[in-house]
Amino acid sequence: MHNRMITATAVLALTAGMAMAEKSEITVWGWGVAASSLMATVEGFNALNPDITVNVEQMGYSQVKSRVLAACAAGGTGLPDVFQFQNVEMELITAQFPDCAADLAELGFGDDDAAKFPEFKMTALDTGDKIHGMPWDTGPVMMFYRRDFYENAGVDAASIVTWDDFIEAGKKVQAANDGVVMTNDNLNGGAEWFRMIANEQGCGYFTLDGESISINQPGCVAALDVLKTVVDEGLLTAGDFGERLQNSAAGAVATQMNGAWFEGSLRTNVPEDHAGKWGMYLMPTVAEGGPRAANVGGSLLAISNTSDNKEAAYKYIDYTLGTNEGQITMLREYGLVPSLLSALDDPYVAEPRDFWGGQTVWLDVLATLDDIVPAVGTPFFGDADQVMQATQIAYINGEFSTAQEALDDAARQISFNTGLPIAE
Amino acid sequence: MRKRNLTAYGFLTPYLAIFAVFWFWPILYSFYLSFLSTRRLPWSWNPGMTWGRIYQDPAFFNALWNTLKILLIQVPVMIALATILAVLLNSRLLKARGLMRFAFFAPVVIGEAAYAAVFRLMFNAEFGIVNKTLGQMGIEGPNWFGHPDAAMAVIIIAVTWRWMGYNAIIILSGLQSIPEDVYEAAKLDNVSPRQQFLYITLPLLRPVILFCIVLSVIGSMQLFAEPFLITNQGGPGGATETLGLFLYRQGFLNLNFGYASAIAYTIAALAVAISALNLWVGRERE
Repeated sequence: MHNRMITATAVLALTAGMAMAEKSEITVWGWGVAASSLMATVEGFNALNPDITVNVEQMGYSQVKSRVLAACAAGGTGLPDVFQFQNVEMELITAQFPDCAADLAELGFGDDDAAKFPEFKMTALDTGDKIHGMPWDTGPVMMFYRRDFYENAGVDAASIVTWDDFIEAGKKVQAANDGVVMTNDNLNGGAEWFRMIANEQGCGYFTLDGESISINQPGCVAALDVLKTVVDEGLLTAGDFGERLQNSAAGAVATQMNGAWFEGSLRTNVPEDHAGKWGMYLMPTVAEGGPRAANVGGSLLAISNTSDNKEAAYKYIDYTLGTNEGQITMLREYGLVPSLLSALDDPYVAEPRDFWGGQTVWLDVLATLDDIVPAVGTPFFGDADQVMQATQIAYINGEFSTAQEALDDAARQISFNTGLPIAE
Repeated sequence: MRKRNLTAYGFLTPYLAIFAVFWFWPILYSFYLSFLSTRRLPWSWNPGMTWGRIYQDPAFFNALWNTLKILLIQVPVMIALATILAVLLNSRLLKARGLMRFAFFAPVVIGEAAYAAVFRLMFNAEFGIVNKTLGQMGIEGPNWFGHPDAAMAVIIIAVTWRWMGYNAIIILSGLQSIPEDVYEAAKLDNVSPRQQFLYITLPLLRPVILFCIVLSVIGSMQLFAEPFLITNQGGPGGATETLGLFLYRQGFLNLNFGYASAIAYTIAALAVAISALNLWVGRERE
């Protein structure tokens, strides 16, 4: 009796599956320009798969994150067929809800597919028994700057090598441009600046094995010191993501430090007469000769286990993320840096960009890829990030005498919250 | 059991079943969860990671202290302003009373997201109208969202703006239930308007004001949308993180369900204690 019921269900599921394959519809959740770029690949995808309708729902980053987590906690109820998630945060899902995302290996993602992406993008997604998602983009950190503001101050961007150079340049830029601040950070709602400089200096919240806390090590201490100096010198004002874009569009800020995916957000949000006025240069470093590359952000696409259209969903993500055509479309339209290795050799990346004053920005961005030190997320990324946000504000407001003292305190708190030891 | 009772329970069953599944069971289950370490699968019995953490967690005490700050500053200020506003709205000298009453009540009708966005713009340190106006007067406005105390002030101003009119309308209804002849008698006895307010209006309004305080205290304990939306999820650095936001972070962003359950029970216990205190302070004394 029991067996017969299972067979009946299987047959039903199969026929349903076949009916779906003829004409199906998938829903995708994504945020900001990432969602826009997904919409941009639909046309190319439909040329190959005319029977699959793709609906991209564009939301804010935290909206996608909290809705996905809540839906995973509810056993997958209410999830779309495909959702975007940040790489550093994915381990939250793989650790707590290992069944939430579908196993891509079952849908056709083999070892040869995994080899098409850099290893650091796959580590969080491959838990050994299962592939939880497909890598999307990376976020090599760049300085996005206003050429005209720098020129007014007689500052040559190429001469900015260390953070001390950046601070000197900032003073000149602010003196020469009325009402312009050197840079912005999401100081009151995130720790991105700290994370970017720390990553550049080879330090992260956790050691690479994810088993201990390394936030109080020298690279992180240096990063916090740089941040405080820039703030103390009056060169940095706070703004969340939307406000930083507004400031950029209003011509009220000279430099934004961010992952290269910021290119599309910036380019599509500033007025048209900004074309040619922006440029990019590498992040400054702490000591001359030091590293000048870091990564921030970078996402993946996952298929939900509760989706009725897994096959169609896989076809879509495989086209969008797994082919040069899909990845280059997103790079061209919205500046998302492919993590698909073969896309990096596409002729498009070597072209000069008019918006960026004729600079071959993608060559400059991609040249940093080899120097990026991986940073692990672990399921405790959120815990650590919250402690760091509080610590950063406390240190800037003078509650600790040294950055080392502040980060020792942060390390103790993270250890207390997560149960992980502090690395020696 | 008598047959009548059985029939009654029969009719109640659908409600009781839903209550048991969606209310009672989660309440019990989250109590059980509050003893588990839910940091990694499989979840394990470890009250030290939840109850053992809460009483020595600086982030919990930060959220508790922030909530108490709002309770102790915002609620009294708002109720006092609402009372004054109610008296003014009740004044015979006031023209267009209906319009005025609606205008002060209107903020409650506005969606939280919309008003939060407007407050963020108004208090923007560089371009906001608040700092621009202060600048005109020769005062350098603070970096509202960057300084812990200033951010807290924004939250208090926003919540007061939103709920003051609502409370004023409730108090106004209380004012209108005070019989006119009491004031006429007072006038005959040459009692000044100030004394009338202090010795007639306020004592007779006591039950209504107490009602408003209880409502506002419960509202403050649950405060979530304002610090989430206006000060960037409790920023800067947790300076406006309330208990509700802290619970949300632990439960739904860090997925630490065990600890979040322990926090939920602690908040519930605090709410019961504060409500009991309210009722005890406001009890009818003979």
